[in-house]
Amino acid sequence: MTEVEYPPYEESAQLARYIQKYPRSFTRNPTQPFIRRPLTLSELTGPVGLESRLEIGDGDLSRRAPDGPRAIGQFISVSGRVVDQDGAPLAGAVIEIWQANSAGKYIHEMDRHEAPVDPNFTGQGRLVTDAEGRYSFLSIKPGAYPVMESDWWWRPPHIHFSIFGPSWMNRFVTQIFFPGEPLNETDLLLNAVQDPEARDRLIFGTTATRVGKVNMLGFRRDFVLRGKHRTPALD
Amino acid sequence: MLVPSPYCTIGPFFPGQFVEGCEDLTRFDGRTARGQHILLAGRVVEEGNLPTLNVVLEIWQPDANGVFRHPLDPRSRDADPGFFGWGRARTDADGRYRFRTVIPGSYRTGDGTLRCPHVNVMVLAIGLTRRLVTTLFFGDAPDDVRDPVLGCVSDRAARRRLFAVRDSALDSEGLTAYRFDIVLRGENETPFFLD
Repeated sequence: MTEVEYPPYEESAQLARYIQKYPRSFTRNPTQPFIRRPLTLSELTGPVGLESRLEIGDGDLSRRAPDGPRAIGQFISVSGRVVDQDGAPLAGAVIEIWQANSAGKYIHEMDRHEAPVDPNFTGQGRLVTDAEGRYSFLSIKPGAYPVMESDWWWRPPHIHFSIFGPSWMNRFVTQIFFPGEPLNETDLLLNAVQDPEARDRLIFGTTATRVGKVNMLGFRRDFVLRGKHRTPALD
Repeated sequence: MLVPSPYCTIGPFFPGQFVEGCEDLTRFDGRTARGQHILLAGRVVEEGNLPTLNVVLEIWQPDANGVFRHPLDPRSRDADPGFFGWGRARTDADGRYRFRTVIPGSYRTGDGTLRCPHVNVMVLAIGLTRRLVTTLFFGDAPDDVRDPVLGCVSDRAARRRLFAVRDSALDSEGLTAYRFDIVLRGENETPFFLD
């Protein structure tokens, strides 16, 4: 069996570290070069089986309780797969999700935006991928909101994802945006990715619309976590 | 070969409920962790030595015997059933954070190299589009510690900044405290590793 490899992230396929008009990037990124180190058991292992330590939800963020009223907003379904760089599914990966409500308001003491809190929406949830690396959840589409520390920046609708791969080396955090949103054009974070193909990987795809008994719009996003040669070579 | 998805910043609104209870690594599955329980505490500051509010730290470490709760560790069957090894904390308005954990044990890698007691640390925050990773070490004589990761930090002063130091002023709840301050940027910057 080949040893798992975790090559350093390629800069061109990632967000820039320094972003004009995003002041904290200039006060928090280290000035000294990052130091190369060997990867030993300590870095190659990581928190697997986190569902035994953290509470996992029912995959429905659109209401507080299974029989409770739904939050106001566009009812959506989000699904996808978590795979490694070989495309092998990462089963049992814990995913944390958080997002604003349909008015662009988070339940968080740092949120100073004067938009209403929805009593039926917590905006957070936790899931685990299945044997094929798949995840899915129901929610409502988040609204846009102003960055109160700036005088112009509005964040486009987005959902935050925090994913625990099987290693400390592929612990992963990101934000996924909605296709066709005008604010996507000016967002400092989304546009901090140079490579257009990589930028597209931060945007949801849509699934074919369907009308039935329960109706929601479908969005899809697969995630590729760092790590290759996890599975034995076939030849 | 697929390209890894782009990282993005954790932003300002990471739910408080995702942090609550995760600062304490000394209890798991209704049991208490073996080994010496300690407080691992400190401040996270940015340029100008200014405190950072709302920075999220995560740690990953072996148990008191140097065993990881992970299938890659050949000794994982002996992992302490009362210790999971992962924790998360958030800084307050003074930039302060605090974990309750155990002093990790040392272990030998496959080729016999000794990994000295250490804790993996990652930093997530507004302004950081990707996590920052570093490793903290224990020991009263930093210059004598031989560890393959610590050894990659060639500057002696920088190497010393990777050591958690005993700080009795932070002792509380009957626990011995070790202080590990993180300077994201500026004078006495903490060394970070390539990720």
